[in-house]
Amino acid sequence: MSRDSKGPEPIRAGLVGCGRRGTGAAENFLMAAPGLRLVALADAFPDRLAECRTYLAGLKHEGYAVEEERCFAGYDAYRRLLDCGVDLVLLCAPPGFRPLHFAAAVTAGKHVFFEKPVAVDPAGVRKILAAGEEAGRKGLGVVAGTLYRHHRKFRETIRRVHEGAIGKVLSARAWYNTGALWRYDRKPGERELDYQVRNWPYFDWLSGDILVEQHVHTLDVVAWTLRAKPARAIGTGGRQARTGPEHGNVYDHFAVDYAFEGGVHCLSMNRQIAGAFGEVGAWFYGSEGVASPYAGTIAGANPWTFQGEAPDAYVQEQTDLIESIRSGSPLNETKQIAESTLLAILGREAAYTGKALTWDEILASSLDLTPSGFDWANPGIAYEPPVRVVPMPGRPRA
Amino acid sequence: MNGRVSRRAFVRAGSAAAAAALAPRFAFSIVRPAQDRPIRFGLVGCGGRGTGAAEDCLKSAPNVEVVALADVFPDRLEGCRAQLAGLSHPGFKVAEGRCFTGFDAYRRLLEGDLDLVLLATPPGFRPIHFEAAVEAGRHVFMEKPVAVDPAGVRRVLAAGEKAKAKGLAVVAGTQRRHQKCYVETIRRIHEGAIGRIVAARCFWNQGGLWRHDRKEGESDVEWQMRNWLYFTWLSGDHIVEQHVHNLDVINWALRAHPVSAVAVGGRQVRTEPVYGHIYDHFCVDYEYPDGVHATSMCRQQPGTDGRIGEAVVGTEGQADPAEWIEGKSPWRWKEEPDSPYVQEHADLIASVRSGAPLNEARAVAESTLTAILGREAAYTGKKIAWDEILASGLDLSPAAYEFGPLPVAGVPIPGKSA
Repeated sequence: MSRDSKGPEPIRAGLVGCGRRGTGAAENFLMAAPGLRLVALADAFPDRLAECRTYLAGLKHEGYAVEEERCFAGYDAYRRLLDCGVDLVLLCAPPGFRPLHFAAAVTAGKHVFFEKPVAVDPAGVRKILAAGEEAGRKGLGVVAGTLYRHHRKFRETIRRVHEGAIGKVLSARAWYNTGALWRYDRKPGERELDYQVRNWPYFDWLSGDILVEQHVHTLDVVAWTLRAKPARAIGTGGRQARTGPEHGNVYDHFAVDYAFEGGVHCLSMNRQIAGAFGEVGAWFYGSEGVASPYAGTIAGANPWTFQGEAPDAYVQEQTDLIESIRSGSPLNETKQIAESTLLAILGREAAYTGKALTWDEILASSLDLTPSGFDWANPGIAYEPPVRVVPMPGRPRA
Repeated sequence: MNGRVSRRAFVRAGSAAAAAALAPRFAFSIVRPAQDRPIRFGLVGCGGRGTGAAEDCLKSAPNVEVVALADVFPDRLEGCRAQLAGLSHPGFKVAEGRCFTGFDAYRRLLEGDLDLVLLATPPGFRPIHFEAAVEAGRHVFMEKPVAVDPAGVRRVLAAGEKAKAKGLAVVAGTQRRHQKCYVETIRRIHEGAIGRIVAARCFWNQGGLWRHDRKEGESDVEWQMRNWLYFTWLSGDHIVEQHVHNLDVINWALRAHPVSAVAVGGRQVRTEPVYGHIYDHFCVDYEYPDGVHATSMCRQQPGTDGRIGEAVVGTEGQADPAEWIEGKSPWRWKEEPDSPYVQEHADLIASVRSGAPLNEARAVAESTLTAILGREAAYTGKKIAWDEILASGLDLSPAAYEFGPLPVAGVPIPGKSA
């Protein structure tokens, strides 16, 4: 990046979604390039907003410039933030809100960094895809939180696979096996909607379940490496360890056999169970070797190990977005993150239903997990979401 | 851990089966007088599969007679006896004095004069029955799986070695090893038709299975034995009881057993107490020697899509071991799929009469342990190595084999189950 003596034109950003990842993304943004200003915060909950604001102020970063009048709380806070004079927004609310927030940001002409996943259902994915095209027409930068796309170790490994280092890719595996995640106890008098939104990983309509919310990272690496259209998924899963109502209606394990056009299959395995074996990774098996982007290694005919430093990809993804905007050729990752999100949704639905599902079926599916009567933009003070039911393979969805 | 020992065993079992399968069925009847002597067999376990096995065995070769029946339950024995009598087969020679019931029925059956036993009780009993059969010097056909826990697998392996030393034939109900379409495809895989194997997949996804309502006054043990599928000490869970077929094909095609396994599974839909405590779905990522991985998926959930079969991926092609090879050496089995249920008995009897008895004990014991490895990886949530499971002290057998109370063990919870 070239800089004249005055430095680059400042970019003014606002954060939508002040939880842990949002707070982290805002910090990463400030460190990503010179001349960046964080000027606004929005969250459904005033307490989360205040915690985030305190943390970011404590960094004493010159780019931190959040004033009281640009702090917005409530479910419609994103809209007020978009109207307050920002150039760029960081969209980090629970994934169920992403299609609404993204479409509104693009309509308002803002550059976007948005966290993965970008939807929880096919209806949301189609909304994201349409807004992404509009962003392209408007020349807006869009970068997604699938950070491995910006990680030097991953990029170099996968570039070598694409250049033929393991020959023809024949098979793949993708694991996201971990322990338990955080959750919050219900506060006295807390209404159901707020309880679910605070505990969003455990509700399908907010997180998309663990396969979509978490394992989308690994599936994105698979999609990136294979460069093949998904064809079909056969999946299984359930909740075996994490069965109480405090864990909403999501599963604690999934396994999916994905078939891609050209005949390559990928075993996807994903678990969040405390005390169980954990490992995250993706492995690609070719006619002449095996590649592991997570390890940064290639074994076989062309052995190679990643050497050197890999900059923090949480910062690098923001740097890449800012540089692309400043260079006048903005990145637009909408299609790739929308498709990786849909790949995860395909696997989830194959497991939930017990049906073999095709890519074309899920892309066209009318499935919309929005609770009946819920308005994402303005749910209203009295709205109570219905109890979410755990999906049962082979049975009609309740 | 390498798979060398078993690899040799698999080559041997595979090629012997192939040779037997390729031989004209009744060639021996012309050239070998040994077949003039009848082969008299007894059946231990008179349920659906046992009755079917007896019928298949009778049909498999000339001069084969069924002479004795054993089952824990008199009603099951009577049903089987009536069905076999109804065949009007000249080989049906079961006298009243050679029908035995109760937990020790197998022992009394083995004391009688017979050459061969078919072991078809619930799998939990197999190690005991197989040991006793070998001890008594009988040839054995035994249904799969051959154990439900590592302790049982070790007993079967040891008895299998003893059978070899005694020259006894041992054939297992992993019948794909006797099915020409599989034999021919896997022979080509072994000859290099798809190059070096890099991955494999296998599935047994289906709906529900049968069960019996609990009768008034039925003891825990009787109820569980009549519904043995749903209790791990009897069936090994459905990954062991059913999916062992597909895992056996993968071991056979790869000429190895797994090195380790990581798995998920649970009891999501079939949760009522009448279904005991087994899971209704599993998925296992098996690692084999040289870093080759195999996907295994099995489920029993009504209303879900079915898929039963295997796939093997090589550097120069892919194969469905039941049917075809594509890639550099394309090939397809063009005949109607042959029935292996009779063939496995034909191969057993031919091997006995030829004086070169088949011994499949190690192959089926290793396939059984492969399934147990996957089950335990899912039950515990742990990554488990082959050597660990082979040496494991896990023993699911009850304190005593008698009718009476037996509480249903809890459903395993990954991360909590030891």
